[in-house]
Amino acid sequence: MKKMLKSLFVVCVAVVMTATWASAETLKVGVQAPITGSYANEGQGIDNGTRLLANQINAAGGVMGRQIEVFTCDDQATAMASAICARELVNRGVKMIIGSYTSTAAEAAQKIYYDAGVIQTSDGTADSLTEKGYWTFLRNSFPNSAEAEYAADYMVNVKGYKRIVVVSDFSSYAVGLADATVAAIKALGGNVVSYDKIRADSQNFTPVLTNIRSKNPDVIFSAGYYTDGGQLRAQQVALGINADFIGGDANDNPDFIKLAGSAAKGAKIINVPTVDMLPYDLAKDFINDYEKTYGERPPSIWGLMNIDGMRAIIHAMEQNKSFDTRQAVEYLWNMDEPIEGITGPLKFAKDGNRIGSSYMTFEIQADGSYKIAHQQ
Amino acid sequence: METFLQQLANGLTIGSMFALVALGYTMVYGVMRLINFAHGDMVAASAFVGLTVYTQVMGQASSLFAVIAIFMLTAGLMACVGVILERVAYRPLRTAPRLSAVVSALGASLVIQNGIMLIWGPRMRIFPELVPQHYWHFGGVVISLIQVLILVISLVLMVALYLFIEKTRIGAAVRASSIDQDAARLMGINVNNIIALIFVIGSSLGAIGGLFIGLYYRGITFNMGWQYGLYAFIAAILGGIGNIPGAMLGGMLLGLFSAFISGYVSSTWADAFTFMLLIFILIVRPTGLLGERVAEKV
Repeated sequence: MKKMLKSLFVVCVAVVMTATWASAETLKVGVQAPITGSYANEGQGIDNGTRLLANQINAAGGVMGRQIEVFTCDDQATAMASAICARELVNRGVKMIIGSYTSTAAEAAQKIYYDAGVIQTSDGTADSLTEKGYWTFLRNSFPNSAEAEYAADYMVNVKGYKRIVVVSDFSSYAVGLADATVAAIKALGGNVVSYDKIRADSQNFTPVLTNIRSKNPDVIFSAGYYTDGGQLRAQQVALGINADFIGGDANDNPDFIKLAGSAAKGAKIINVPTVDMLPYDLAKDFINDYEKTYGERPPSIWGLMNIDGMRAIIHAMEQNKSFDTRQAVEYLWNMDEPIEGITGPLKFAKDGNRIGSSYMTFEIQADGSYKIAHQQ
Repeated sequence: METFLQQLANGLTIGSMFALVALGYTMVYGVMRLINFAHGDMVAASAFVGLTVYTQVMGQASSLFAVIAIFMLTAGLMACVGVILERVAYRPLRTAPRLSAVVSALGASLVIQNGIMLIWGPRMRIFPELVPQHYWHFGGVVISLIQVLILVISLVLMVALYLFIEKTRIGAAVRASSIDQDAARLMGINVNNIIALIFVIGSSLGAIGGLFIGLYYRGITFNMGWQYGLYAFIAAILGGIGNIPGAMLGGMLLGLFSAFISGYVSSTWADAFTFMLLIFILIVRPTGLLGERVAEKV
């Protein structure tokens, strides 16, 4: 028994020593993203981008002499897997988390990262993400409320639609965007004739659309993700519903156009600029490197926003000359000048929101390309 | 009225897909008293196989001949997979307790699902628009070419299957095996061949169902088999598991029921109401709508 305890003690010491030795050598970065499942290409985009940036920084000498080490955990875009990922990554001793892609997964992990003092930067757009007062959370995209206000203004004031239908699934992102859009439309005096909920991935939306058809709408605003949005658009046209279709930002994906097929033409999508429309040199260089490394362009701007979040945190650590996470976040809150970013200037408010908004409306052309239909 | 008729068309389309898949469950259960949980994943796999046949074998041709060839090739390939599945996962367990076979079926389901993910990747794959986007307007009701095709082909296949089972010698052998395998064997029926035949028919009908799902919704994911398998399984129980016309009726009723519930109550409650319907039917008629009351052998 005594011998066993002794050997156990030796093992413990060895484990602790390896752990401290490893953390002294590298800066550990966690990627929490949906590597499998419906949003796998977005999750893989975040993972690929993070590893590319880490390799670039490592090649240039690392962060204050430390090499970056990346750990990836697949949260499958579900709350359950997300919490497991969060614990695993915290146990690995990461300083920052890049991701996740969906608000649902990011939200489920927030408390764990907050308790561990690990900075989490996500492109999740649900307003609720920044309403909990967790200092560890930095949103690298713009919240739903900014998009909702733009969408409502476009539908009510720019296009003058009289009968608006809003469709959402049950994810925290889509419900957040849909609720905020409905509220913003009502604030502008617009008329929402129907607000429908669909189950994500259920594919058969014709029963709901048949009901929507009887309300004779001018426009259908889809607040969910592209996997459902593309099928909604295809089934809308198949049912002969003569309304415009506007998709929220999560419809901005090449698969939306493939799913909608010949019905994609004329559909509109509200989002920040696409990967190909980013005007910054930093963006062009990074996207070229990405294409060279992985043989494809980043799947969407969301992955790049996450990369911007990582760049901001590393920038703050270098400015502070410290790996302390609390100090890094405080630096980002109190910056006077924004940091140059791949997706535009980076500046953060005290609640963790990224400051600014750059939403546009794109119309899908017959060849699948985008044309800017409206800019603020 | 317009809305009602449109929901009717929606329900019949999805119902005939459920029915095609449900036949696979019900035929296997009828002969082997086994729920083939891998069937839903076989359906999902056939959608992926069909897509690969289209891109690799047919060279992305989208003529009528090419579409028919995709259906034939996929159904043939999946029939082979079905027979292999039976040989590997079910035949060795035929004399084992029934629970072992059920566990084996669940395992086979996971193997197929993860196999799809490893071969075709975890991303949603998208079918091309192989069927022309053609629509007919009847008053306010819109019916598309693909809906008509799904309905007609499903009905033809189901009638053909019914006639095959009821009117041919082999069909009689299938019925005999489902009543009593030992007695059937004593009458000179090769029950192993009959079971293989059941898997050939069930898998190829499922393959056609899977291709319909791909052509109609166009987006296919490696884990979609679970959802369609569950619905088809409910359809089979609803109609009386083991009963072939029952599976057809159950599929159609389930499609209509879920379309009307989604349309008139709420699409979010559709699943809850579907299961409530199942429970209600099982309370009122435990053997399903067309199932016969059979005393358990003691």
